[in-house]
Amino acid sequence: MTSSDDPKQNAIEETRKELEQFPAPVLERYEVALEKLAGRLADETCQQWALEGLEIARKTVRSWEAAAEFFDASVAVQRQLPSGQFLKWAKTGTSLCEDSPSLAVAYFKSSPKAMLRLRPRYIDDWANVCRALYRGTWKSSALACRLFEATPDLLETLSFEEYCHFGEFLEILSRRSYDQAGDALNAGIDLFPKITGDVDRFINLAQIVAEKSWRETAVLFDSATASLVELGSAHRAPLISLARRLVITGVSDAAGVLKDGANTVNKVPADTRDRLLEMTDSIAAVSAPAAPEFLKIVPDVLERVTFDQMGQWQSEGVRTARESDEAAITYFKLESPASQEMLDSLSSSIELSRVRDVIQMYCLALTGHTIEVQAAQQLAEKNIGWFQGELPTTEGTTIYMPSVINRYTTKDENFGFFKVISTHQIGHIEFGSFAFDFNVPSVLFDDLRSRLPGATELKAAKAAEEAAKKAAEKPQVVIFGHETPESAVSTPATPEPEPAAAPEFLTDMSRFFDLFQERRLALDVFTVIESSRIDGYVAELYPGVMTMYNMVRAAALESRPDVTDLPAQEALVEFMIRVSLGQVDEMLVPSEHIEAARKLRRLIRQITSVEALVEDAAEATIRAYSILIDIKNEEVDDDDFEQLEPEDEEDDSDSDEDEDVVDPEEVIQQFMGMSSPEGEGEADQMEDGEGEQEFEGEGEEDYSSPQEVDYRGEFKPELSQLLSQMQMMESGEMTEGGEMEPITQEQLEEMMKNAPEMEMEQTEGEEGGDQQVSEMIENLMKELQKRDPENQQFEPGPSQHVDEDGGPLTATEPDTFTYPEWDFRANEYKPNWCMVHEKIMTDGEPNFFRETLAENAGLVAQIKRQFELVIPEMYRKQKRLEDGEEYDLDSVLEALIDLKIGVSPEEKLYWRRNKNERSVAVAFLLDLSASTAEAIDEAKKPSDDWGAPDDPVEYMVWLRSRRSEGLRRTYKRIVDVEKEGITLLVNSLETLGDMYGIYGFSGYGRENVEFYTIKDIDENFSDMVPRRIDRIAPLHATRMGPAIRHTAAKLAEAEARSKFLFLISDGRPQDRGYSREGVEKEYAVHDTRQSLIEARNLGITPFCLTVDKAGHDYMKTMMEDFSYEVLPDISLLPKRLPQLYRNLTT
Amino acid sequence: MATEQKYDERNIEDYYVSEEPFYVPTSDEIEIFESAYRQRVPILLKGPTGTGKTRFVEHMAWRLSEGLTPRNPGDEALNGSGEKLPLITVACHEDLTASDLVGRYLLDADGTRWIDGPLTRAVKAGGICYLDEIVEARKDTTVIIHPLTDHRRSLTIDKLGSTIDAADGFLLVVSYNPGYQNALKDLKHSTRQRFVALEFDFPEEEREAQIIAHESGCDSDTAERLARLGLKIRNLREHGLEEGASTRMLIYAGRLIKEGVSQRRACQVSVTWGITDDPQVQRSIDEVVTSIFA
Repeated sequence: MTSSDDPKQNAIEETRKELEQFPAPVLERYEVALEKLAGRLADETCQQWALEGLEIARKTVRSWEAAAEFFDASVAVQRQLPSGQFLKWAKTGTSLCEDSPSLAVAYFKSSPKAMLRLRPRYIDDWANVCRALYRGTWKSSALACRLFEATPDLLETLSFEEYCHFGEFLEILSRRSYDQAGDALNAGIDLFPKITGDVDRFINLAQIVAEKSWRETAVLFDSATASLVELGSAHRAPLISLARRLVITGVSDAAGVLKDGANTVNKVPADTRDRLLEMTDSIAAVSAPAAPEFLKIVPDVLERVTFDQMGQWQSEGVRTARESDEAAITYFKLESPASQEMLDSLSSSIELSRVRDVIQMYCLALTGHTIEVQAAQQLAEKNIGWFQGELPTTEGTTIYMPSVINRYTTKDENFGFFKVISTHQIGHIEFGSFAFDFNVPSVLFDDLRSRLPGATELKAAKAAEEAAKKAAEKPQVVIFGHETPESAVSTPATPEPEPAAAPEFLTDMSRFFDLFQERRLALDVFTVIESSRIDGYVAELYPGVMTMYNMVRAAALESRPDVTDLPAQEALVEFMIRVSLGQVDEMLVPSEHIEAARKLRRLIRQITSVEALVEDAAEATIRAYSILIDIKNEEVDDDDFEQLEPEDEEDDSDSDEDEDVVDPEEVIQQFMGMSSPEGEGEADQMEDGEGEQEFEGEGEEDYSSPQEVDYRGEFKPELSQLLSQMQMMESGEMTEGGEMEPITQEQLEEMMKNAPEMEMEQTEGEEGGDQQVSEMIENLMKELQKRDPENQQFEPGPSQHVDEDGGPLTATEPDTFTYPEWDFRANEYKPNWCMVHEKIMTDGEPNFFRETLAENAGLVAQIKRQFELVIPEMYRKQKRLEDGEEYDLDSVLEALIDLKIGVSPEEKLYWRRNKNERSVAVAFLLDLSASTAEAIDEAKKPSDDWGAPDDPVEYMVWLRSRRSEGLRRTYKRIVDVEKEGITLLVNSLETLGDMYGIYGFSGYGRENVEFYTIKDIDENFSDMVPRRIDRIAPLHATRMGPAIRHTAAKLAEAEARSKFLFLISDGRPQDRGYSREGVEKEYAVHDTRQSLIEARNLGITPFCLTVDKAGHDYMKTMMEDFSYEVLPDISLLPKRLPQLYRNLTT
Repeated sequence: MATEQKYDERNIEDYYVSEEPFYVPTSDEIEIFESAYRQRVPILLKGPTGTGKTRFVEHMAWRLSEGLTPRNPGDEALNGSGEKLPLITVACHEDLTASDLVGRYLLDADGTRWIDGPLTRAVKAGGICYLDEIVEARKDTTVIIHPLTDHRRSLTIDKLGSTIDAADGFLLVVSYNPGYQNALKDLKHSTRQRFVALEFDFPEEEREAQIIAHESGCDSDTAERLARLGLKIRNLREHGLEEGASTRMLIYAGRLIKEGVSQRRACQVSVTWGITDDPQVQRSIDEVVTSIFA
């Protein structure tokens, strides 16, 4: 139907011919497209189309691909566009092809879909947006192509205008990094559909971020995807605008703003979200960098105060923010005192950290032991067997509590809750839960413990029996109880005599729980009973807390589960808990077991008396257990529950006075019988689960532990006993058993395997459970070692001593001084034996000084007040002077009397207010030995210093390793406390006007006694002093003698009437070679003593303050006739130092 | 005199303890004191404040005066003479000098007159001279008492140029409070080794409750709680408190309670605020108080 000379035909034919020289697909596609288009396009247009295609193909070597795509896309595109636009589209493609065929390919490829959403007049713009990304490189072209490809998707959510903005953003970003831009593009495709409506705003933000800190863009998209999406659209816009404003004013972390903002907004109630953002805005208006901090902290703040209260806190912050950005940041980070105080005064919640000292002292008072108070989380983190991390608990020496209490509306009540839980937890310590002794008789019950067979024992006996059976083929009578070993031995034919000796238990508690087969049940019962016993004591001895205590108990009751939902056995355990919490009425129990419930209730009543011992709790547990174990743990219909009548007190107390709730003989039978179920002979029948099957009838459920009672927390008697035993040994309270064998890992594993308190975790996490347990055991071992007093003793290594060779030293360099050393064995001085190198401490930062003063503001004020009281003393009348302001009446009278009786009278008749009376020079000498690097909490740990190698090279290596350890510390060291003390003192000494010097000393070997001047006696206080204090750090060893001699020499030069040398140390003097064969420790002690005597001969009063708890022994020798003090608790140092100073110098 | 004298005035050597002071012994201190008195061995009472040192001396002065406890029937009364035994107490302070103890010349219209100090008077009268808190006194006083504490049993008076041999009944008793630290004030060895020492400490809970109940007249439940409070507060010694709560303090609290002051308040004013100025320790003690007392 077409003729060859038709011009249209010509162009088409020509194109066809021309296209033949290109790879086949080009022509193929041309033909396909042509066929479809020919009918639809005007001839002329069609020809132009064909020629356009040919032009594309001819452009460059690879452009045939573009042409192929062009032909491919044409059919679809043509449908969307009028012919004029269609050709324009083609032309745009051609021009793209000029830049890069790949661009054109991408353009054509995405066109059919893009055209669905793109207005024809924007085609050029579109191409330009993408083309702008192309900069001739491979990466840029890939990016541009990617944008082409993504266009259809993007345009689904973006208006073309937005699309252009996005393109611009990508272009900006791509100048920095194509990869980032590519990522952003992908992220955008993902993100935009989810935040429709806010896309433009977000792109705008992204653009600014890209300009300001392009590296942040990836995070920005990430966090936007993660958080903005979650956020309701209503709050998205303000948040993005906020972030944008912050970024403009210099906050770089837009992503953080979005993340924290979204997070926070989601956390606050819906009706406060707008206000929250307004608040942030108003902060941003004053101080942009503070706003992100605010967003971050809001959730924390809201844990303590209501939203309205937070508003007050915020407006105060805005006022602060006007001062400076830093002030604003610290305020909203909740780091400034003003901010904390403000929040504190608004909030009714109580943080543990704020009342910890008070509670700690309260616990000390009640128990007489130093009880640590820590956040419960810390115990869980230790991973030694406690898991909850939220509930209060104790392990015998420390009580763990929630870090914040915000249960009530007033501070008093919240503090009261702390008091309740601490009173209960230390009740376990005060009333001896962990002092359980298997052999101590109970006072309320007949003792059954010793008459019951232990499960382990039974198992062993069983095994022996089996073996005996096999060997002898005749029935063997096995007697349970303590005779078991004999019975085993008396089986002559046993091939492998089973060692059926009574098993060893790490704790008495373990031995006790070994009596039970259902240990979990036994533990739960014991927990209820023991807690009731503690509650009983508290009620009797501390009636003052009972108001609050009862309130807490009532609250605990309210949160108990519904008894009727529980199977029978659990329902009865729950019943016990409710009784123990004081519920009287409406006690529902399964009708079938009403008598059992009555008995259980009576047990609880008995145990709440003040005579009850922990051993009574144990006996009660046996009885309650024997009742409960007979009850099937099966579902009970709601109708089958019945109310137990409230107790008739008189009736009960009359009848049960002496009568046991259970028949002891029956209990014994029951325990015996239960442990050897008929017919079964398997050795492992005792294993959990299998034992249960024995009893499990129809509809019986596995027993599961009741929900904890919040104030009683997590009670772990076995572990706690183990841990506290260790501690007690230290204080010498458990020494009856003589030396305790060190606990082995195997023993611990054995205990953990059997301990009911551990079961829970094991069953919960089957996978990795073993690993978890072994990790826990490891931690526990460490914990035990830490507590083992054996480890805390001073153990000098065997090869400590080296006799130092060489003779006297000569000080040739400047600032070196030689001093003699006293050899007490030879009873003579070694002349010029030690060399002191005096150096000025290097400068550090002044912050430490400032911060210490700020943190201890209360103490500072107190010390100042005390010191100010000293000043009037300085103006005290000085009597008996030869000349002065006025006659002293007393003296004059005496003189007159003397005259009358004919004795020559005293001439000193005057008094004067002597302003210069106070003439004091003090030198503080700080021990900077390596051991001061120890954490104060762990100062009990053995000091490794004695392990110091004697070889100088090794010594240095050892030192370096010790010091590098110091760099990683996050804890407070002894030296830090020394620094604090000095800081507080220095600050106050300035009030007093005494002359004082501060020196530090350390060193290694006699040639290198390092002596650091922090402030010389005659030096005035300057900015340098705080800087030098900052640099005080643990160094090497402690050769006290020379340092004291050097200080004394300095003091001797000072002009003052009273002179004091104040030595602050953390342990005995020691150094390489500061010893003599056979008298390692004494040598150093005696030299130090000698140096002190020398000081006294120079008119100096020495005083030694040590933080070494073991200090009493050698201090007695070293400081005989001198004053000294051993601080029982290092943390008292900053407080005690000024006190001592005042007492000593006045 | 026409106006009725409202007070009782007498010379110090005429002071006898005539009614039995309430004292609950903690161990054999009564017997030791008696034996020491028989042998005229001077006695040193050590212990924290408020543990009954002064009360014990009073009690012993009374006991010895009464000659109540001859070892065997027929034994002569302890102070030999059967006369009453005067108790002369001197509270030492930091300005107490030797002449405050020994005596001094005073001026009067005719010239000068010597007046004996309390120690001299005790030496002459043959009574118990009780120097309370001896460490507080100036150093020169200790030198004066040395000859009185050994076989010489004599007092030298420099100003008179005379030496007085102590009357037979004379005995020196001193007390001191070692404090919780041996840092600053301590008794010299040359002094302390001249005495037999009796240690005083806070009585155990039950006994203390008994004492509190007796002394303050409060009911036994309150007394028990006060004793418990004392016990608990003493746990804080060396951890913020220099001294534990004295029994005396607890008795005062008991007296206030008897007067109708609320228990918590009474403890606060007589114990908490008295024992420390440290607000935090006060707070902690307050918590103990509010636990023990409803």
